[in-house]
Amino acid sequence: MNKDYILFAFNNLRSRKLRSWLTMLGIFIGIAAVVALIGLGEGLRTAVLSQFGFLGSDVLTVQASGIQFAGPPGQAVSTPLSDDLTDKIERIRGVDAAINRHIESGAIEFNDRQHVGIVTSLPEQNKRKVFERMVNLKAAEGRLLDDSDDRKVVLGHDYSADDIFGKEVAVGNTVLIKGEAFEVAGILEKKGSFIFDHSAFLNEDALLDLFGNRKTVDAIAVKAKETNDVLRVKEEVEQLLRKERDVKKGEENFIVESPQSTLDSLNSTLFAVQLFVSVIAAISLLVGGIGIMNTMYTSVVERTREIGVMKSVGARNSSVFILFFFESGLLGAVGGAIGIVIGLILAYGFAALGRAVLGTELIQAQVSVFLIVGSLLFSFMLGTLSGILPAFQAARMQPVDALRERA
Amino acid sequence: MSTVLYSLRHVVHRKMRSWLTIVSVLVGIAAIFTLLSFGIGIQAYVEQIAEDAGADKLFVMAKGIGAPGTDGNFFVSESDVDFIRKVNGVKEASGIYIKAGEIEFKKQKKQNFVLGLDMSKQQFVEGALLVEIEKGRSLKKTDLDKIVLGYNYQIEDKIFSRGLDIGDKITINGKPMAIVGFFKEVGNPSDDANIYVNYKTIDALFPGSTFGYAVVQADKGVAADELALRIQDKLRRFKNQEEGKEDFFVQTFADILATFGTVIVVINGVLVLIALISVAVASVNIMNTMYTAVLERTKEIGVMKAIGAQNHSILSIFVIEAGLLSSIGGVLGVVFGFIFASIGGAIAAASGFSSLQPAFPAVLVIGCILFSFILGVVAGLLPARQAAKLNAVDALRYE
Repeated sequence: MNKDYILFAFNNLRSRKLRSWLTMLGIFIGIAAVVALIGLGEGLRTAVLSQFGFLGSDVLTVQASGIQFAGPPGQAVSTPLSDDLTDKIERIRGVDAAINRHIESGAIEFNDRQHVGIVTSLPEQNKRKVFERMVNLKAAEGRLLDDSDDRKVVLGHDYSADDIFGKEVAVGNTVLIKGEAFEVAGILEKKGSFIFDHSAFLNEDALLDLFGNRKTVDAIAVKAKETNDVLRVKEEVEQLLRKERDVKKGEENFIVESPQSTLDSLNSTLFAVQLFVSVIAAISLLVGGIGIMNTMYTSVVERTREIGVMKSVGARNSSVFILFFFESGLLGAVGGAIGIVIGLILAYGFAALGRAVLGTELIQAQVSVFLIVGSLLFSFMLGTLSGILPAFQAARMQPVDALRERA
Repeated sequence: MSTVLYSLRHVVHRKMRSWLTIVSVLVGIAAIFTLLSFGIGIQAYVEQIAEDAGADKLFVMAKGIGAPGTDGNFFVSESDVDFIRKVNGVKEASGIYIKAGEIEFKKQKKQNFVLGLDMSKQQFVEGALLVEIEKGRSLKKTDLDKIVLGYNYQIEDKIFSRGLDIGDKITINGKPMAIVGFFKEVGNPSDDANIYVNYKTIDALFPGSTFGYAVVQADKGVAADELALRIQDKLRRFKNQEEGKEDFFVQTFADILATFGTVIVVINGVLVLIALISVAVASVNIMNTMYTAVLERTKEIGVMKAIGAQNHSILSIFVIEAGLLSSIGGVLGVVFGFIFASIGGAIAAASGFSSLQPAFPAVLVIGCILFSFILGVVAGLLPARQAAKLNAVDALRYE
């Protein structure tokens, strides 16, 4: 029985080719736009998130709260973290290590050119290995630093390309940081994070000598012993800091973040942007739905006589309804299917074009099975929804009146 | 009786089809109208700022990372500003301190920027920062521990749960301060949450601070962009830095606004392009409706042709019908767009972005309606051509 309905609907659409094609054109333009935009947005979101995703889930970051969006941790902060907190945090049960992070901006010179970049500290002694493992620090060329490397620097991967100084920096070269010479001991592996790949790493003591020791730190990285213990450790760190900084619960002037919470907040921002763009694109689907409704109303009027015949030979209201309902669902679904194919081509085409023109790996398309199935289902539903009123009109016709109608 | 009923049903149906087509144009035009009105509104706001502040303002900023002036490793020093003031073509220059402070009122703590201004040059500095006293008085050079607050402090639940008033005491980094005035609304939540003090107070609050940036005014008749180059060059020599290795940069006010304006135009353009997709779909709907209309009226066309109507008259009839249908959608779209944009503007103002307001110039209204008319005409062209090319005899015979 169901098969008959589908066949019937299909044949009807075929016999009104032009109108059906135009109606479907409306749907597939909309679906193609939505699939392409969501696909590109999804790819971009994944790429952006991967910039921050390299920290393990057992690492907490402590920083003084400052004015939002004013810069990296430690900048635009009224009450910085004091450098004696690390030892106190380490005494908390379940904490493997607490590491001071100094994040400074500095003029880096090479090849007679200057670049203002981020200079960060590497902890020394037994904490060095912990930190290297924590952020998975590996040298692509040369080596990492050890405690005696006071005049040496390790550079992020981007410095090995020629776009910062007009010439690649190689192991053994000398760069000037804040006017002082440092020998490049190693170049790091690519992390895919702009900040990380653009940083220069000095030993903590060397960095403090260069920038001055203010007895404060910009951030503290806390590693928990057990991943499933992170939440408890986070609470205890917060408790300790509240006591040390003399603030009440709910009025903290510091933040303890897990990599997950950072990712979550970034993710929700990106998602909101994506949603807004998709909503604007989805307006075209609304317009496409109106098109289907229009076509179906016309179709019902055109086939009034046919409906009359069907009813007089015993077709029930529900059968007539389902007939038109299916037909409009089919219009939506076929339009959607074509739209998905075009949307896929557009998404991957634009992504490839964007990568070629802008030269950044950030532009990726990512179309999930969920998106494809969802769009198809959505377009079918859009079709059936738009068809409800016209189908209802067809179903309610009086057979006698319908038969008398002239086409 | 039944005949009347039939034709009535036909009319009702045709009306329905027309309405649906109109609605589809309406939706697309409303979306575009709304987006464009915001784009134009923001653009106008930016131009207004440029006009108010004048084309003679420049900023000398330290390099570094993060928000301008907040990077402690790069700064503008007092001697830099003194030097800039002496550069040929500079009328006035003043350093601005920008510090993060912890503000407390009735046990509530907030982190906000504290700006230190040279109040001996009050008019110049306030003009360059685009602030103006709304309530109370401005700061004097000799005031100590007196502050002027950004607009948002007056509103309850915006920054503190209670709205502040003149005479209220708040503390900055633990030091009590007396409020003497409030600035007018700038229109973005970050600037409207700033705290302003004079040099004397900033010295007491943040001893040993350095300037975040400097504002400069050019002499009458001196082009700001030329002056920017001159300051760049002279200050570099003064600071003994090589070309390309300066720790500062000079930007004209117009540069900053132009960058901002370009970003807005690009974002708005992308959104309008996406919204145009719905208009494309609407045009397909118009085409569909017109094809159906031609089919339904084949006999009518036959009659018209039989009594001597020419092809181009038939063409015009259908093209104009399509154009009319679409323009009605356009007019309604503009009306709905106006309503949406106004609601959006009200929401933006309520969230502190009173600078984010739509504008409705006549050219936008007329442009949208004209666009919808042209859209209808273009979409109606193919169906109308089909109607015009019908053979009169065949058309008359059509059932």
